[in-house]
Amino acid sequence: MYQAIVFLPLLGCLIAGLFGRFVGARGAEIVTSALLLVSAALSWFAFVDVGFLGHEARVKLFTWIASGGLKVDWALRIDGLTAVMLVVVTTVSALVHVYSIGYMREDPHRPRFFSYLSLFTFAMLMLVSSDNLVQLFFGWEGVGLMSYLLIGFWYQKPEANAAAIKAFVVNRVGDFGFALGIFAVFALVGSVGFETIFAEAKSLTGKTIHILGGDFDALTVICLLLFLGAMGKSAQFLLHTWLPDAMEGPTPVSALIHAATMVTAGVFMVARLSPLFELAPTALAFVTFIGATTAFFAATVGLVQNDIKRIVAYSTCSQLGYMFVAMGVGAYSVGMFHLFTHAFFKALLFLGAGSVITALHHEQDIRRMGGLRPVLPITYAMMVIGTLSLTGFPLTAGFFSKDAIIEAAYAGHNAFAAYAFWLTLIAAGLTAFYSWRLVFVAFHGRSRADHHVLEHAHESPPVMTVPLGVLALGAIVAGFAAKGIFAGEGMEQFFRESIFSKDGHRIIEEMHHGPFWVTWAPTLMMVVGFAVAYWFYIHDPAIPRELARRNDILYRFLLNKWYFDEIYDFLLVRPVKWLGYTLWKRGDGWLIDGFGPDGVAARVLDVTKNVIRLQTGYLYHYAFVMLVGVAALVSWFLVRGGG
Amino acid sequence: MTIAALFFYLYAAVACASAFMVIAARNPVHSVLFLILTFVSAAALFVLLGAEFLAMILVVVYVGAVAVLFLFVVMMLDVDFAELRQGFLQYLPVGALVGVIFLVELVLVLGTWAVAPEAMRAIQAPIPPLDQVSNTQAIGRVLYTTYVHYFQLAGVVLLVAMIGAIVLTLRHKENVKRQDVGRQIARTRAMSVELKKVEPGQGI
Amino acid sequence: MNLTLPALGPALPEIVILVGALALLFLGAWRGEAARPVVDFGAILLLVLAGAIVVLLPGGTLSTFGGSFLLDPFARFLKILALAGAAAALLMSFDFLRAEKLERYEFGILVLTATAGMLVMISSNDLITLYLGVELMSLSLYVMAAIQRDSVRSTEAGLKYFVLGALSSGMLLYGASLVYGFTGTVGFPGIAAAAKAGSLGLVFGLVFLFAGLAFKVSAVPFHMWTPDVYEGAPTPVTAFFAAAPKVAGIAIFVRVAIDAFPNIVPQWQQIVIFLAIASMVLGAFAAIGQRNIKRLMAYSSIGHVGYTLVGLAAGTPAGVAGVLVYMAIYVAMTLGTFACILAMRRNGEAIEEIDELAGLARTQPMVAFLLGALLFSLAGIPPLAGFFAKFYVFLAAIEARLYALAVIGVVASVVGAYYYLRIVKLMYMDEPKAAFEPMARPLGFVLGITGLFVLLFFVYPAPLVAAAQAAAQSLF
Repeated sequence: MYQAIVFLPLLGCLIAGLFGRFVGARGAEIVTSALLLVSAALSWFAFVDVGFLGHEARVKLFTWIASGGLKVDWALRIDGLTAVMLVVVTTVSALVHVYSIGYMREDPHRPRFFSYLSLFTFAMLMLVSSDNLVQLFFGWEGVGLMSYLLIGFWYQKPEANAAAIKAFVVNRVGDFGFALGIFAVFALVGSVGFETIFAEAKSLTGKTIHILGGDFDALTVICLLLFLGAMGKSAQFLLHTWLPDAMEGPTPVSALIHAATMVTAGVFMVARLSPLFELAPTALAFVTFIGATTAFFAATVGLVQNDIKRIVAYSTCSQLGYMFVAMGVGAYSVGMFHLFTHAFFKALLFLGAGSVITALHHEQDIRRMGGLRPVLPITYAMMVIGTLSLTGFPLTAGFFSKDAIIEAAYAGHNAFAAYAFWLTLIAAGLTAFYSWRLVFVAFHGRSRADHHVLEHAHESPPVMTVPLGVLALGAIVAGFAAKGIFAGEGMEQFFRESIFSKDGHRIIEEMHHGPFWVTWAPTLMMVVGFAVAYWFYIHDPAIPRELARRNDILYRFLLNKWYFDEIYDFLLVRPVKWLGYTLWKRGDGWLIDGFGPDGVAARVLDVTKNVIRLQTGYLYHYAFVMLVGVAALVSWFLVRGGG
Repeated sequence: MTIAALFFYLYAAVACASAFMVIAARNPVHSVLFLILTFVSAAALFVLLGAEFLAMILVVVYVGAVAVLFLFVVMMLDVDFAELRQGFLQYLPVGALVGVIFLVELVLVLGTWAVAPEAMRAIQAPIPPLDQVSNTQAIGRVLYTTYVHYFQLAGVVLLVAMIGAIVLTLRHKENVKRQDVGRQIARTRAMSVELKKVEPGQGI
Repeated sequence: MNLTLPALGPALPEIVILVGALALLFLGAWRGEAARPVVDFGAILLLVLAGAIVVLLPGGTLSTFGGSFLLDPFARFLKILALAGAAAALLMSFDFLRAEKLERYEFGILVLTATAGMLVMISSNDLITLYLGVELMSLSLYVMAAIQRDSVRSTEAGLKYFVLGALSSGMLLYGASLVYGFTGTVGFPGIAAAAKAGSLGLVFGLVFLFAGLAFKVSAVPFHMWTPDVYEGAPTPVTAFFAAAPKVAGIAIFVRVAIDAFPNIVPQWQQIVIFLAIASMVLGAFAAIGQRNIKRLMAYSSIGHVGYTLVGLAAGTPAGVAGVLVYMAIYVAMTLGTFACILAMRRNGEAIEEIDELAGLARTQPMVAFLLGALLFSLAGIPPLAGFFAKFYVFLAAIEARLYALAVIGVVASVVGAYYYLRIVKLMYMDEPKAAFEPMARPLGFVLGITGLFVLLFFVYPAPLVAAAQAAAQSLF
């Protein structure tokens, strides 16, 4: 069954990719979506089987690499953690597949698109079901590659290509750290299999690694390096710049890859490696710090953006920060909880945004929307549900998971826990503001869209709205239903060994006993955010403009995303480009080519000419060469005296 | 014993000398004749060793069939071998150099020649003893049992040579009159004679 | 005196092929050219059957004919490889021969006898069996090279091959007689036991023996026949030459070196290193100047033999395993490339100029892609199969402390990459010439399988590598 879950998407990819012309676009759509739906159904079954009935499994498929001391199996590790991810990945992917049938209906390259989607899903499943670091890295790079291909799916657009390259290059930075982390683990433990690593983790405490002229705590170094990979993949502060640009890809891709699944791989990885991170408190504190900073930073930038998808993208960035805060304070299951609920409401928001975008013929600027509520009633309803859930309206999914994280941050013990608590709390208010701003500006008020566009605007077909409905259902009930197993008493029963905590998950206990005001503060922030947004954009739309004009510097600072792109451009991109250009022109073209390849190539041709002249075509020449060869060898041995 | 040794050296010397003449003779017919002489000398050496069956086979097959066939071919083909040796002198120096080096080296090695004791023993003790089984019988016994695969493989090699010769040379030419016994026998009168009634003064 | 026949079981594949070849020969002689389709089909069937027998015979090391014939895991691995190579080459030949009006039923029979000779070589455990196997194979190959008897090039190729082959056979026999003289036995185990110390005479015998074997695998400086014969012989014959006989030649090379002379490794190691370096370097340099793709493949095969001998030079189980993996991958790459060469036809005429491949990517994208993959693999570019082939032999050489050899090998493969990549550049960057005729189905089949093998080998190399390691282990 587990093999089926993982390999059905691959099968779909192969059918759509290799035989796309044969089965046709329609065939590719149906085959990939159907296989994904089967995979999703099996995943839910596995979820129950593993999580509640306790049938954890390790399915060894075959030995992948055996070289010296390195032995890597290709195996599926199915435990509580994997079960959650399987459900999230296959469900969202299946819905996105179905949704894409409608969204991409006018695109000529649908078989390629569906093939990519399925291959992405396969790589993601490989990632979450991996049994060792190398397999994890395989999936990790696989999703990175598919992200690159899907962002650049409309390769005719230069921005899409630039965004794809940016995503790939920024991720390289993180992956470099990740790879170093894997090497370090192998160097210290002598294995890359999770079982061995976790068993050995205890013995690593106190060991040191000698790098850059200093001795550092081995576990801390390893965890920081691995976390660097997670930062890249999950678009955390400093390595976040690719995520907003990635919105150049088709919207279903944004929903699947850049909201629900791939970007959460970093969170999953930290949870998976909790036995290592638990023993490296410094690294955990760093995780908390980065998470909290991201949550706050992304929320501030989200306040002033105008592109509908970028607003949602920054919100994703911010929510990922929340998850890392949970990881950092040791509440791994709570982080997974938010990952789980976030997948539903964020995919819902993205797909809803996609529905708006198609209705308006690829208009993404919310300033040119407005008054869409009567035109797109279903989409509106869905967006509102998604927003409620995201902002944490009581009893929706986000309410349970996000509030749990804020409580956990309050209850946390590490150096940055308090910092994280306040920042996430503020970010909750900001989240509410920008989310409602999006809804109000896009759907309420007077229409600012072109008449022409508006006349043709229409509600999306059922093939798009039905997946929305399913996600909306998830966005409402997922939190309530799953609260027990992620943040309650059922937690240890569900996750068992898959999540490790050195103090027996005390944090889960403690966070339920926070003061009254902590429990309700996030809700209050949500209400404030909502109220301000309502006041700004419904009651008195002149205020925001006035505010922006008066705080021009702050406004620009936020609008330009804290100038990160510009700083990077100045500090890194331009010097590197200059260096590359110089090396190319002076170093390569003049120095190396002149004396190296070109010179060598000319000598090679000379040798070739001489060698070919040997081949005269005369039989006795040939025979003579053979005799000379034998004579030379015989003489050699005679001189050497029999060797 | 001395007589046997004397004859051995005689035939060995003749074999070597005539082998040299095979490649040295100017006239190709002479070359083939020297080749025959080499074979005969070798057969005589076999007789001295008591292997009369091999000796006879050598004479019958190589002298009687192969060499005579060569002779026919050489005599029927009108090849001017002198012309073929035109370029010979041109390459003589370098060829001679390599050849001399080779020869010196081989002589040096043969100077240190030590025949392996196992080989000597194998030669000295024929199995089974000669007084019980004739060597023809002995060959037959091992040739069709222990060494059956050598024998069969050699046969296949010859078969391939035959197939090759046919593949490369046999041509079914049109318009060549061949005898076809079957058709000749099957001929009837009706097939070969046609009666025509000729009207006077009209011709056929 | 009881006369008993030796056990025939271990030689069953050879017997089946030869008896089948005889039966088909009778059929051909009786029915004439009408029997050709049956003979062709039957020949392939026999090769497949022989392969099945090799697999199904009881495992382990079987020995018969007084120990002169061995069927061990090493022989099994290479026999299956040689049979597969022969069957694929035969399958690819039909359409070409039909188009060139060369259809003769003897072709299939000659392939069978040549293959039987290879199997005998692979299994031989003494010098006489070795020689008979070599001759059986070579004689069939001489005839095949000249089979297009109305073409001057083909006849010349056959004649050159024959004369030089006879010379090399002479060297082989001379070497064998020296070895016999110094050890007193022709069986490999006996030679191994007797050749404890390398006396000069024995080493001379070794040199001559290896010279004869080097001719069969076309290692420099015994390679001179290769370019002319590869170019002159009809293309399907060239394809056959490049695959299966190489396997058999390398097999016997390895077996003689490891089984018969395990106690004088330093001596033969020097010879093999010399052959390897000369072959790698010459193969890389000489191929660059070629315009004819068959000639190019000739130099390419010379180079690859050099790389293979690097593994043998190591003289370790890992080295021999590298040799086996290399041969398996080499056969696949060569057959795939020749499938493309055979498909180069325009207006009913075969084309052999490399420049005619220009722009193939636009006229036949799928063929160009697979050929490109094969060429990249021949050049040894990761992650394709050819890279792993080189990787294993070089690794073995390094482990055996033959650093200079490994370095020269890497440098030669860099130079060699140039001419492979030039073809890729022609196919993908240059202006297309007129399209070739559509590919015949058997060619497409062979190209598809070998192309996928080369592309996907890295995903799951374990079975082949494990089999090669087991086979190599059986020699030591």
